[in-house]
Amino acid sequence: MTAVESSAARPEAHTYRPSAFQRILPFAIAAVVPFILGATTSDVSFWWKALITVIVLVAVARLAWKWTPRGELTHREDMRLWRTPSDRSWAAATTFGLLVLPFILASDFTPPMDFPWATWFAVVNLVLIFAMGAAAFNLLVGYSGQISLAHVAFLALGSIVGGIVGVQWSSGNMWLALPASAVAGAVVGAISGLPALRLKHLYLLLATFGFHFVMMLVWREYLQEYFGFVGIRFKGENSPRIASWLHWLPGIDPDQNGEFVITGQFRWYWVIMPITVLSILFMVNVVRTREGRAFAAVRDRDVSASLLGINVARSKLLAFAVSSAVVAMSGTLASFYIGSRGEDSFNVQTVLNYAIIIVVGGFSSIQGAIFGSAFFWFLPEWFKWAREELWLVRDIDFLSDYPSEIDLAIKGFLVVIILMFKPDGLAGMWRDLKAWLGRKLAGSQA
Amino acid sequence: MLLAFGNFTADPSVNLQLLIGGLALGAIYAVVALGFVLVYKSTDVLNLAHGEFLMLGAYFALTFLVSENLNFFLGVFVLLLVMLVFGLLVHYGIMRRMVGQGFFAIVLITLGIATIIRALLLIFYGPTERARLDLLPQGSFEIGGATVRHVDLIIFAVVAGCVLLFFAFFKYTRLGLHMRAVADDIEAAAAMGIDPDKVYAMTWAAAMVMAGLGGLLFGHVTGAIDRSIEAIGLRAFPAAVVGGLTSLGGSIVGGLVVGVIEQFANGHLGTKWREPVAFSVMFLVLLVRPTGLWGRKDLERV
Repeated sequence: MTAVESSAARPEAHTYRPSAFQRILPFAIAAVVPFILGATTSDVSFWWKALITVIVLVAVARLAWKWTPRGELTHREDMRLWRTPSDRSWAAATTFGLLVLPFILASDFTPPMDFPWATWFAVVNLVLIFAMGAAAFNLLVGYSGQISLAHVAFLALGSIVGGIVGVQWSSGNMWLALPASAVAGAVVGAISGLPALRLKHLYLLLATFGFHFVMMLVWREYLQEYFGFVGIRFKGENSPRIASWLHWLPGIDPDQNGEFVITGQFRWYWVIMPITVLSILFMVNVVRTREGRAFAAVRDRDVSASLLGINVARSKLLAFAVSSAVVAMSGTLASFYIGSRGEDSFNVQTVLNYAIIIVVGGFSSIQGAIFGSAFFWFLPEWFKWAREELWLVRDIDFLSDYPSEIDLAIKGFLVVIILMFKPDGLAGMWRDLKAWLGRKLAGSQA
Repeated sequence: MLLAFGNFTADPSVNLQLLIGGLALGAIYAVVALGFVLVYKSTDVLNLAHGEFLMLGAYFALTFLVSENLNFFLGVFVLLLVMLVFGLLVHYGIMRRMVGQGFFAIVLITLGIATIIRALLLIFYGPTERARLDLLPQGSFEIGGATVRHVDLIIFAVVAGCVLLFFAFFKYTRLGLHMRAVADDIEAAAAMGIDPDKVYAMTWAAAMVMAGLGGLLFGHVTGAIDRSIEAIGLRAFPAAVVGGLTSLGGSIVGGLVVGVIEQFANGHLGTKWREPVAFSVMFLVLLVRPTGLWGRKDLERV
């Protein structure tokens, strides 16, 4: 009753509706300014551009915050993806950041203390690909509660489809290989999910792990039959390229031989980033729909879910299919990006790596998958920098004697510590930080 | 052809050799599966780090028995003592805080432990591979044209002895009774005055000691001791599941069955079929009898 009373008591001034123009404007600025900044080349110094970037970032976030519908929301407004001022300003800032990032990384700026800048571009691209795969893994294991270790099997499936469609049938048609691997991933994923109709928890984990080994056999057989021991080459003549009838698009100027080949980190970024962003948005939306809520209901209590009218079998298979489709797609993308896939590209360690990513990032959170994969790929870079450059740390011989081993140990200890003390991982820390900041700001205003 | 089948042979001596090799492999699987079963039976934890525990045992065996050159029995005693301390460390340091957490979180934390052990072994022992152990009698004898190694017989005897020992332990000792009670119903057991914490600690210590023994034995039959021997932990999964994850005797039968099937797949179809065939057998058993051949029947069906 209190809710009704308070809403009745609330003055009209609290309900606020921005115009359509005001709602779009922050995002329009976020989408256009990076390209203007990127197009102005060397006549403005790096620091000026950095200053402008920060100012625009803050301005865009502020505007998005300001121009958000408030007060009594209609149902449609309540169901929006970015509903609160905070959501909208983070979305605008992220859009701006994602678009301005490649221009920053491609600039020939050398930061002080030899901070690893040159290697960052490759790391960012890997983070994006892994974030896509890890988010799909989280959708299956975290949201739907279907324990599966067959994750890497679908990466291998993506490489197989990429090899068949993108290398054997055509040389380098990644644009056809991506949807093909999504379809193959969905079909094989639904089949691999069949044990989930009968098994649960531990036994489902073991059954999917069996599927992993079967898929590894298929992968090795496929490699030896058609490619031999050197593995599949996705580079060179098999690199994806933009068809010639699309060369009129802005920003695409063909090379000497009249082709536009996707090579180099900068071009790859513009291929990987939209695919990752779209597939993550897709999964975020799946979670918000009826099907997504059915996944969570089946996870929490499958008997109750079936009494509510949810088709439990269909829901489980759909979870497997959606997750596997995205994972297979990320496998194809990774194959073309990395350039070659061999016999030992997929192993049990890869399964562990994805487990590390989703644990450190935050279990059952798509945001966590992004944080986790960023952490997973940036940790070695930062650690390497600290070992070589950081004052005091560079004097410890022990660290520089065993770089990769200590990397591995740090990751292992982090998994254990996070699971013991902070089970919602980096995403949970981020939420806590935001809540703390919100309390601080509210406190200062009061 | 995608699925090229190897040459089937009807030669009895070849098949006998495969059978004996399979039984030897199965004995090793039984050692590892016994470690899984011990932990799963009383703490309900699927310990994915058991392969790493075994690797730890093998490397410690190298240190105490080869580098330090201790007397064999003293060395084994020290090895098992150190492993026991490590087991207590795993429980009191990590697993104690995880009681009551979700199933997958606990599986993931054992993966974290596995990663730590692997990294630490790489740091302290380096990536170079060591020669396998040769402390047990190395001879062999022939039966019907097939070679039987003495080591395999010793391994088999040790596993059988361990299983009998654990049977007696669970059946006749007070601590064994406590373990069974805790496994059955932890709250009721705690209400009866049993300290589950202590029971879990003893379980982890026992599993670690088993892993130490397993590492010592496996160190005698593996090609070389390096960081790839942790894979035995994964390869022994089908054995543990086929036997039933809650059955001590099942781990021996499961180990032998899976070992023989794998060895025949290896001999007749080729090495690459080893793991897929083993895991397919496990899969079939899971579909028909989800608790394994002798497992506890309280599985939650979907």
